[in-house]
This record gives sequence, structure tokens and C-alpha cells, in this order.
Amino acid sequence: MLSVRLFYRLIVRPLLREPWRAALTVFAVALGVSVVLAIELAGNAAAGSFRSSLETLSGNTNLEVTAAGGIPEQTVATLERLPYPIELHARVEDYTTVADSAQTVPLIGLDLISESNNDSPQSRAFDTVDAENALQYLNDLNSVWVGSRLGYKPGDRIRLLVNDHTREYVVRGIFNDQNEGVSAIVMDIATAQREVGRMGRVDRVLLKVPDEPSIEEWQSRIRDALPSGIEVRLEGSGTAENRKMLSAFRWNLRVLSYVALVVGAFLIYNTISVSVVRRRPEIGIVRALGATRGAILLAFLGEAACFGVAGSLLALPLGRALASVAVRLLSMTVESLYVSSTPGSAALNLPSAILGVLVGIAVAVVSALSPAREASLVSPVEAMARARREYIARVHKARDLWIALAMALAAGLASRMPAVEGKPLFGYLSAILLIGASVFAIPAFVDRLSTLSSNLLGRCFGVEALLASRSLAGSLRRTSVLVGALATAIAMMTAVGIMVGSFRQTIVVWMNDQLPADLYLRPAGDESADRHPTMSPEFADALAKLPGVAAVDRYRAYEISYQGLPATLAGADLQVMRDFRSSDFVSGRAPDKVLDEMRRRDAAIISEPFSNKHRVHAGQSINVPLGGRNVSLRIVDVYYDYASERGVIVIDRMTLLRYLPDPAPSNLAVYVQQGANVDAVRQEIEFAAAGRNVLVFTDRDLRREAIRIFDRTFAITYALEAVAILVAVMGIGGALLALVIDRRREFGLLRFMGAATGQLRKIILVEAGLLGVLANLVGLGLGFLLSLVLIFVINKQSFGWTIQFHWPVAVLVGALSAVYAATVVAGLYPARLATRLNPIEVIHEE
Amino acid sequence: MRSRSLPLLVLLVASLAAAQYKMALPGYHYQFPRDHFNHPEFQTEWWYYTGNLRAPDGHRFGFELTFFRTGLTGNQPPDSTWAARDLYFAHLALSDLDGQHFYHVERSNRAGPGIAGADEKTETIWNGNWQVHLEGDRQDLQAVSDQFNLRLTMESKKPPVIHGENGVSQKAEEQGRASHYISLTRLLTAGVIEIENKAYQVTGTSWMDHEFFTHQLEPDQVGWDWLSLQFDDDTELMLFRIRRKDGSIDSSSAGTYIDPRGLSHHLRAGDFTLRPSPDTWTSPNSSAVYPIRWQVSVPALGIAGEVRTPLPKQEMTARSKLANSYWEGAIDLTATRAGQRLSGRGYLEMTGYDRPVQLGQ
Repeated sequence: MLSVRLFYRLIVRPLLREPWRAALTVFAVALGVSVVLAIELAGNAAAGSFRSSLETLSGNTNLEVTAAGGIPEQTVATLERLPYPIELHARVEDYTTVADSAQTVPLIGLDLISESNNDSPQSRAFDTVDAENALQYLNDLNSVWVGSRLGYKPGDRIRLLVNDHTREYVVRGIFNDQNEGVSAIVMDIATAQREVGRMGRVDRVLLKVPDEPSIEEWQSRIRDALPSGIEVRLEGSGTAENRKMLSAFRWNLRVLSYVALVVGAFLIYNTISVSVVRRRPEIGIVRALGATRGAILLAFLGEAACFGVAGSLLALPLGRALASVAVRLLSMTVESLYVSSTPGSAALNLPSAILGVLVGIAVAVVSALSPAREASLVSPVEAMARARREYIARVHKARDLWIALAMALAAGLASRMPAVEGKPLFGYLSAILLIGASVFAIPAFVDRLSTLSSNLLGRCFGVEALLASRSLAGSLRRTSVLVGALATAIAMMTAVGIMVGSFRQTIVVWMNDQLPADLYLRPAGDESADRHPTMSPEFADALAKLPGVAAVDRYRAYEISYQGLPATLAGADLQVMRDFRSSDFVSGRAPDKVLDEMRRRDAAIISEPFSNKHRVHAGQSINVPLGGRNVSLRIVDVYYDYASERGVIVIDRMTLLRYLPDPAPSNLAVYVQQGANVDAVRQEIEFAAAGRNVLVFTDRDLRREAIRIFDRTFAITYALEAVAILVAVMGIGGALLALVIDRRREFGLLRFMGAATGQLRKIILVEAGLLGVLANLVGLGLGFLLSLVLIFVINKQSFGWTIQFHWPVAVLVGALSAVYAATVVAGLYPARLATRLNPIEVIHEE
Repeated sequence: MRSRSLPLLVLLVASLAAAQYKMALPGYHYQFPRDHFNHPEFQTEWWYYTGNLRAPDGHRFGFELTFFRTGLTGNQPPDSTWAARDLYFAHLALSDLDGQHFYHVERSNRAGPGIAGADEKTETIWNGNWQVHLEGDRQDLQAVSDQFNLRLTMESKKPPVIHGENGVSQKAEEQGRASHYISLTRLLTAGVIEIENKAYQVTGTSWMDHEFFTHQLEPDQVGWDWLSLQFDDDTELMLFRIRRKDGSIDSSSAGTYIDPRGLSHHLRAGDFTLRPSPDTWTSPNSSAVYPIRWQVSVPALGIAGEVRTPLPKQEMTARSKLANSYWEGAIDLTATRAGQRLSGRGYLEMTGYDRPVQLGQ
């Protein structure tokens, strides 16, 4: 009973007296938690389940048979004739865009006759289809069956874009969609093969094998019956691979989302510290009246927990709302960088809600531990000695500096450590150590700087500035915490800004080398990193004969799985690379030499992310299952590639055609003859392409498009940073408010002694400005160091890109000025409050 | 699509497109082994394997493995391996006569890249992992299903029998309403039956029917009853009767008697009687009522007797209400020939009891 009253008197009542400050802290916690929650929810919706959309209509199968570029269709017969009781589903899998709604959905070719043999979920999906007539549509190339979610009726016409052609089909039946959010178009396997240009091949065969003896035993039995290049793996391996591929991405996103929470922790720490400092007399009295240390500790931790609970509860709806925005951004990123996906809805589920609340409370309590402990140590006698704590801060400056140095050293060491299971754990550790180091270094820094600057400030801005500066140095501890919070947020923003800017610049420079041709063509339809629609080879041939065209290079890409991770295998005309430069290869060798070693051989160059992911280097060999054969490719060199985070293997087109004899290209590069007009040639090409859905880009278009995708990709990163900054600025506002309330007496005295209201305002604003300057300086320095960790450790270990360091001056100047302005603005309200103090009343209180 | 009903639907569709196919006409020149395999110029073709088998402990089994092929389309099929020119479907059944259990499975496929077929080059008739491989007089049968497997070797003791007259087995009066109909009537059989992981070594006698045709029944003909009998004295008998809508028996009903040397004797409708006794079994699945005891008499051969089944529930129930169900099962004969006791075993098929069969109209 006593403790409840204690809690009320010591904690609740003061809070109620300053509802705005309490609200600010709660809101800051809420923002921090809601960002974490939003990223968690959006991540789950956009990338979490990562069931590939092609898994639709896949039923209850447990094994799958695949190979790069598809498996020869004879394999289906081989499997069907194995003397085992196995259920089989051969599939042609691709994507199509519904022309009227511009929706891209999986296009699945099924053997509609044999699907009826098993009472499987996929055959049940067809139960609504008019069986009596279904059969006569089998050999009709216009027949499609459409998922219920697309909203068509039997007999409707539907226009579909497949590869480079759009054609009208007739909806013969509607089936029930299986996956959440994913619809699909189904064709008979014969039609599908033809429409997607997969003659002689199927993409996957799904198998349902009996439970006995074991799935592994069945896997090996079936593998033994098939050629070596054909893979037999657990059904859903693709999903697992996608998840694995995306895990680094999600990890980094998650870490970034915690930045706002860390900043929020600083604020809790600050708020509780202020509470403790201001209530020292009360604590002393309460202690003198018999309250134990534990009770005091609990009371202040209770205060923090209240902030935590209130903040997290507020964060639930806020996080849910933020998530629905984030999920769109995220799924675009996932789609352009990784794999075709259909985002689910960002629903708030109980586990995430519990996680959010727990994280909020935990962060609040942990960050309040130190000030609460301090409060409990207050002895009744010294309760009145208000200056003591500040004194301690001053005394330990040197010791803190040493700690900072040690942490910085440890950070340096951690940055040299390798990734742990593809996750840059030591990179994060290094970043945390750096932040820790700067936090410990801040008191010394603030002290030194404000001492150095106070005279200068006094000379430039008058006595008010001098007062402001001295006051900051005077309450060093509080100032340090504030500077620490804002500096951390600024550092994060700076670091991410530098990394993104560097990345962007690296890509811009890289693209200048990468796009030597004048015009580029690809099939229309949504782009995704794992979809490679093709154009007709005749069209490519026709282009080469157009007037003004000097050469046409063909590029063909396939999705493959290499050692448990998705990758892209491409065959390119080696001319594509004739404009490569030595600097494009990691080895720095002359391109002629590299290309000569590849020509017509089982040799490849691999992209840098591939090399990093699989730890393979020039001179080694990789085994790639190609067209039902296992091909050993010698790695000639590693090239820089920023187009995709997925690894890429490039081989000579001639070599590729030997294993997968499909001449349809996925991309074309057109070189215009010297002296010919690019626009005129472009018109010729567009004329020749009439009736096909191909898109023609100039190199300039492509660069712009690439940068657009890049910026879109990092939009969420910026958003996260912005929230962290917002939280920090709110903290500044709250802290200044506390400052004003705290120094009522001082301000009252100043007023009493004749200071004008303008002068008081100036003091507060200069303090705010000084805080901003200090935080910006520390933040910039720390941000620079963090950006090095981000670029050279975390990015490299997570994604495998080499990024050239680059200062994005304009962005940084803009962002830092904005933050600076925001801190000053945050001082406005407290300044107004200070000017409203009635000096008589304040003095009277004394 | 719910095409568990495919087989019979196909026959419906197929009947529209029959024009491009050949009809079974007198004078066909048979050639073996060529004629054991595919005849794509005829719209419909089937291979029936049935037999009575016995384990060393006396445990009795019957089996049926049937391969069907039917031409699907009159349109130009797409230029693809997977174009569905024909539909291949197959029925597999095992009658555990002593265990009183009947297992049956069906499947549909297209030829595709070699999923089903009846190919002279590889001497195989197959549908997925159900297959019969021919090698001279020897045939190896293999079939795998969830519940049971069959691995049988069959040795033909007699040359192929060609039923009917002048190479055609007439099914109705109109010319072309007939099939080319071949049988191997005495296949000595040995092999293994596995039921739910229990293996039985078995021996016995099997029978193969192979028919190909384009037109067959008239709209007035609603079904047929067919039986094969393998007598203990090394002779065999095949009889079928076609039932008309009005309840009468069609005059195209016929049969064949094969003597111990393998010579066949054609029997016309007037040469025999095949009459159901009132003893019936009602299928709980299709509600069809099947007579399961039949009086057989062939006066010219002096044969008279009765066939019964040791297992009434041998209905091959169609998976969909749209397709026909039929009864096909092992039977025992008790009879006399010229006063002498005559026994034998065989298979009985009864179609059109759930509703009229439309076949090759």
C-alpha cells in the first residue's frame, strides 16, 4: 500500500504536472516501437513467407524434380513409368500479364488429363469446372482456365501478355485460387509449352511419394533413375532458398528499424534522469521517512515501464498503419532485387503485438536502469546537494574517454571478422561499439567544445549565448545524453546517407561502362529479378538486317538454383562484353583475354555477389545442372555487377545453346552504325516490332530507370531514418522543456534582474542551436565511421557488393541543415514558456 | 477439372469425330506380332488382360488390367508432344477371392513424351507404370498401385484367335458396326501379387482380348454381357450377348469356341443361350443391379451349365457419375459336356446396368 502511494506521490503526480513532457516521451517510445513493429509486419507480408508465387496449385506434393532451364519432357515419361506408387504433376511455369488489369500472375501449364487421376488439392481446385466440356478444349490453343480471384466468367475473353506477344484467349473455366493473394492462369501443358516457348521441356515435376520408407530414401531412388543434371529435392526448396536469400535483407532492415527504438531509449534514459535529478529532494525526504532503496528503484523503473506500456500500446495501431505503407515499398524492393512476390496483407497478429509491447517495455526499463539505480543511491543526507552528480560526470570524463577508446578499438577489431552464416553479426557489433564509444566520448567533447566556444559565442552573440553555453557545460550529464541521442540518430542518417549515396554513385559510374550499345530491347510486362521472358529469335534476326543497325547482341537468362541459393545463369554474345573495360573485372585483366578464355568453352565469369555468396573465385570450377546434364564451368574471372543481389553466372551464348538449345533471347542490345541516326533506327525497330510487345530503351532511359528503381528501393531506408530523427528532435524539444522548468528559478532571477523576454528566448534558442551543432558534429563524425562499417563490412558480408566510397555532399548538407533547423524549432515552445514566467512569482517561491 | 469421368466422356466426344477413322470391315489381313499393338487409324482400341490365379496355399485371386485408347479429336491438334490426339486410360483390379476383397484403380493419360502407348518397336503396351511387354509368346505384366502390385509372366499356349467371320466381329447389322477382335485364350501365368506389403507367389491361367474399331453399338443397343471360360480340358469358350432397349437380345450376339489344338469355331446368336438367373447383387456405389449367376448352354457342343462368382462385389465403379460403371469379375463354371462333368474358370463382364453404354455410335 505504501509503495503504491509512494509511486503515486513520487512518480505520477510530477508527471501529471507536466503532461506535455510525459506525452512527448510516450510518443517517442510509440514511434520507435511502431517502426519496429511496422517493419516486422511489412517484412512478413512482403517477404516473410516467401512462398514463391509459382507454388500455387501445388497441392500436397513432397518432392520436386527440376533442372536449370527446365527438364527434358522425356523425364516425365521416365518418372511415370518408374515401378513406384508415386503421384506426379508435370508443370510448365512462367508468368503472364493480364492485359486489361496489368496484373502479373503465374502462368501454369498442367497436364489436365493426368491431373484428374489423383484426388489432389489441385484437381479439386478444378471441381467447379464444367467437366463435360473441358475435354474438347484440351487441344484448343485459345483455352485458358482462370483463378477465381481474377474475376472472370467462363466464356469471357481474356487478353494475356506472354513473353513478347499479347493474345486473346477464351476463359473455359474458373478454378479456386489456393495461395493467399495469388491468383493464376492455367493452360493445358501442350498449350503452355507453346505459348511460353518451352518446347520439349517442362519446368518442374512435383511428386507425392509414400511416407514409407522415408522421403530421403525416395529422393535417392528417384535420383538414381534420372540423369545426373536433374535435381530431385524437397518440394518447396525454392521457397526455402528464397527465404535464405532474403534473410540478410530482412536482417538489415530489422536492424535499421531498431535504430529509432535505440534513439527512443536515449530519451527514456534522459527523461528518467531528469526526473531523478529534479526529485532528489523528494527522494531524500521519502528515504528519510523510511522508504527502502529497492522501493525507490522500483518506483523509477515503474515510471519507465509506464512509458514503455503506454508507448507500445499506442504503437500497435500506429505500427499497423505504418506497415501498410511499408509493405508496398518493401514488396517493390523485393520484386526488383530478388524474386517475384505477391505481398500478403500486413495484419497485426498476436505474436507481433506481444513482441512489440515486450520490446517497448524492455527498452524502457533497461534504459531507465542506470538513473533509477542512481535515485536509489540517494542518501537522505545528501539529497539537498544537487550539484554532486554533475561533479561526478566531470570527474569521470577522462575515464570515459579511455572506455571510448577501448570500444573504438574493439569496433575496429570486430569489423575485421567474417560473417556468421551470411549475417554480418560482427559488423553490427562493430557499429554498436562505435556508437558506444561516441557516447562515452561525448561528455569530454561537449565540455571541451563549450569551453572553447563560450568566449567566441559570447563575443559573437552576446551575453545570452555565453550563458547558454555555460549552462550546457554546467549540466554536462544531461547535455551529453541529449547530444548522444540526437547524434546517434544523425550518425545513422549520415551513415546510411553516405552508403546509399556511395552505392548510387558507384552504380551510375558502373552503368556508364555497362551500357555501351545504343538501344536495348526487352519484352513488355513487369520486371522482376527472377523472371526472364523472351522474344522471338526471328525478331532478333530481323533487327540485325535493318538499315543503320551495326550489330545485335543477344542475352538469355535462366533461373537456376546453385547450392541452395537462387541464381541467374545467362548466355551472352561475347560482343556484349567487347566494351568491357579492365576495371569491370575484379582481377583488372584485359577483357579480350577474359573473353577469349570463355569462347565456346565450358567457362564462365561470375558476378561479385555470386563470388562472395558461394566463396568461389577465378580459377575454380562450379558444377551447374544445365538442361539435364551436370556441367562443370571453369571460372575465368569475377566481374562487378550491381544490377541484382542474386548471383549471376555468365557464359558464352554458344556454350549455353549447346546445353539448352532455345535461341529465344531475353534481352537484345542494338549497336547503331556510325553516322546513323539513333532515333531513326529506333523508329525502324519499333516498326519492325509491330504486333510484339517489346520495349525499346536508349541507354539513357535505362540509366534513368535503374536509378529510379534504386531510389525506390532505398525509400524505406530513408523513411526509417526520418522516423529516428523525428524521435530525436522530439527528445530535444522535451529536454529543453525540462530544462526550462528546471531552471525556473534561474530564469526568474534573470527576469527579475531586468533581462528582456527576447533575451530569455535567445538563451533557450542558442542552447537548442548549440545542442544541434554538437549533435551534428558528433553525428557526422560517428556517421562517417559507421558508413565505413556499413559499406565495407555489413554490405559486403550481406550482399557482396563492392561500393566505392563517395560523399553525397548535397544530401548530407540538406539533411543536416534540416535537423539543425528542427532542433532550433524544437526550442521554440520551451522558449515561449520561459518568457511567460512571472518573475515575481518565481522569486516569491524562493 | 473433374475428369475422373474422362473415359466415357471421351467416347462421347470421340463419336463426333469418327469420320476420319477407318471402320472394321471384312477382309482385314491380320499380321502378328504387328497386330498386337497400336492401330491409330481406328478410333478406339483396347487390351483386356484377365485371369484366375492361385497361391500355393490355395488362396485364390482374380485380376484385370485393361488398356484403352481412344482418338480424341477431329480438329488439327497442336504441334506438340503433349497434344492430346488420343486419350489413354486404364483400369486395374485385383479380386482377393478368398479374402473377399476387391481393389480397383483407374487412370487417364495422354501419350505425351511416352507416358502411355502401345508400341510395336518396344513391343510394349503401357499406361504409366502399368505395362505389358511382349516377347514372342511370352508377355510380362507389371502394375503398381498404392495398395497392391502385380508382376506376372504369361506364356501363350495357343495362337491368337480371330473372332467373328472374315476378320470382323459384328456388333450390329450395319456394315462397319464391328470390331477387329483378337484373343489369346490360354496364357499360362506365374508371378507375384503384393497386397499391402504381403507377397503371394501365384500361378494360373489368363486371357487377353484385343479389339480395335471405330463404330460399334447402335443407339438402340444399351449394353452387353460377355464371358470367357477356360475349361479344364484345354478348350475355351467366349460368348457375348448385346441387349437392346426393348429388352430383347440382339441378333449380332456371338461367340467362339477354341478346341485343344487352338482352332476356333464361330458361334452365332442362335448357337447358344446365355441367360441370367434371378440371383442379383446391387452395387452400393452405382446402384446398378447385376445378375451374378448365369445359365450357359451351347447345344452344338453339348455344353450346359451355370457360372457363379465367388465374389459379388467386383464392380469397376466409375469415379464420376458421368461415366459408366461395369462389373468385371472372376467366375467359376459347373457344367456338363455330353453328360461328362466339365469345370472351368473365367471372367464375366456386364455393362450398361447403371445406364446405357454409348460406344462408337
